[in-house]
Amino acid sequence: MNLNLRLLAGALLMLPVTMLAQSPVSGFMKAKGEGSITASFSSEKYDEVFLVPQKVDGVPVFNEVQTTSYSLYAEYGISDNFNLVFNLPYIKSEGEATPETLDNLGYENERKGVQDVSLYAKYRFASTATPKGMINFIAAAGIETPLGDYRADEGLQSIIAIGNRSTDITGLAIANYKHNNGIFATGQIGYSLRSNSVPNALLSELKLGYAASKFYLDAYIANQLSDDSGVDILGEGFNGFFPATRVNYTRIGFNAYVPVYKGIGVSGGYANYIEGRNLGDADGFNWGITYSF
Amino acid sequence: MKNLYKYTGIALAFLGTVLTTSCETDSAYEDEPASIAAIAVANPAFTTLEAAAVLGDVAVTLSNSNAGDPSGDFTVFAPTDDAFARLGLEETTLGVLQQPFLKNTLLYHVSNGNLLSSSINDGGTASSLLGPTRRFINRDGTLYINGSEILATDISASNGTVHVIDKVMIASGANVVETALALQSASVFKNPRLTYLVEAVVYAELAEALSNPAASFTVFAPTDQAFINLGTALGLTFTQPSDIRQLDKDLVTAVLLNHVFADVSAGKFTSELNAGTYDALGSDDITLGAFTDGVLSVSGSGNAAPANMVIPDVQTTNGIVHVIDQVLLPNL
Repeated sequence: MNLNLRLLAGALLMLPVTMLAQSPVSGFMKAKGEGSITASFSSEKYDEVFLVPQKVDGVPVFNEVQTTSYSLYAEYGISDNFNLVFNLPYIKSEGEATPETLDNLGYENERKGVQDVSLYAKYRFASTATPKGMINFIAAAGIETPLGDYRADEGLQSIIAIGNRSTDITGLAIANYKHNNGIFATGQIGYSLRSNSVPNALLSELKLGYAASKFYLDAYIANQLSDDSGVDILGEGFNGFFPATRVNYTRIGFNAYVPVYKGIGVSGGYANYIEGRNLGDADGFNWGITYSF
Repeated sequence: MKNLYKYTGIALAFLGTVLTTSCETDSAYEDEPASIAAIAVANPAFTTLEAAAVLGDVAVTLSNSNAGDPSGDFTVFAPTDDAFARLGLEETTLGVLQQPFLKNTLLYHVSNGNLLSSSINDGGTASSLLGPTRRFINRDGTLYINGSEILATDISASNGTVHVIDKVMIASGANVVETALALQSASVFKNPRLTYLVEAVVYAELAEALSNPAASFTVFAPTDQAFINLGTALGLTFTQPSDIRQLDKDLVTAVLLNHVFADVSAGKFTSELNAGTYDALGSDDITLGAFTDGVLSVSGSGNAAPANMVIPDVQTTNGIVHVIDQVLLPNL
């Protein structure tokens, strides 16, 4: 029983975090002195854009956009109730504009670089055992700020910018329920204060999953609702500066993780937008390898 | 146990709140009208217009309210992809145009305020953001703006009104001669055009007459290839515009004058021209074919086959220029 719980706990702690639209903060805590490092790869593509009032076919100028990212993600338990989370992605964004269009506009089909580094602190402030499981309440706060020298202010070229060059300060409240049979549910809601004219945003995520000794699986729905101070692309107030746009989305996805050998495991996942505003209707896969200690 | 119920309750309420409040739905804005720029982007018939608006730097302007008008609105006559294709223009070929000319051309399609179809009448005019006015023509119950047929009207946008047209409208803002010079000096197309015509006009000393600000001409302007083909037909080889001077000056003058209407059908867009035989400035009569698909064929008495309009309806300050693919010949 002890061994099983350890394995299960191990699996839960090795959550892969890859895609941008998924909260970097999970509903589980690392024990003191324990941690994990994940290297991940994700690839997304879109040729439709959620504009207001309708989704349009074909990304303006670039027709189709492919985003590839490589991330380094780490979690560490300072104490059983206090963890640190670190994430740093390198992103490459590629468009499919014709050579003639690139010539005419002086644009390029590629933007790439180190994006934003983020560091979160999470604190479990309450937990209680239930007859067949456990409920945890966690508060998290984090900062995310550009590390690379990428640009977001190149007019329509920045349709394929790799980020917004915004420094975000985010607070999250997380509730997590684990049943002894491996089923779990995590809900989180938070608010993110953002710079560089990026509208502040309400973030939320609901994740349901199953964690057993041999594998881990979850499905989630993640939302961002931006403050209405943001502008719509090609709408009133739009001046070609994309960070200032009001980006909303509802995204669904799943993640799977399998321990392979000792502390090493591999993960994979898929995500897709089901609704959005001012962003590409991307879907794509992610893969990761995690080392836990 | 009390804590358990409390925590479970809080957790459930929490999850419920997350689920019900924060999902993105389009119901909140799907009834909002799109901006003029967004309409162009969303509509597959306006692919070239979208690219032109980006290249011509008016996409942001047409996303926003019109600061230059109390109503905050624009009226845009939007050429379809087919309209651009008539000029050989699509997204990948827009680069043949100089950017300032492209921008000016787009602005010629835009005016301040809401001009609804109910207030468009035969003979009426509307100014453009570029400056020159456009005029409305009712031809057998079909509405035209200049030479462009209005295909659809009164598409409502958040920042104005869109009407759809079948031809790109062009206004040079200059007189007939300066317009030809603009084409010849690469201020319209990056590669010069009408270079032989300009040379011929200079050679025939017609520049001054065709610059008359009080005039209202209808001019048929042959392309460079038309002149080169003429040279070949005459057994000559034209490799540069000055080769036109191999021809007799009086002959060149007479031929050129046959390309200009100055009275009955002066200053006419295609939408105002009818099939028939007309007295040109020269001694020869010019015959127009039927008005078909927005253009008319043109022939002199010496042409084996009629010439076609390549770029019709270019508005200048002293007349309308139709670029044609043959030199109009008298009986030689």
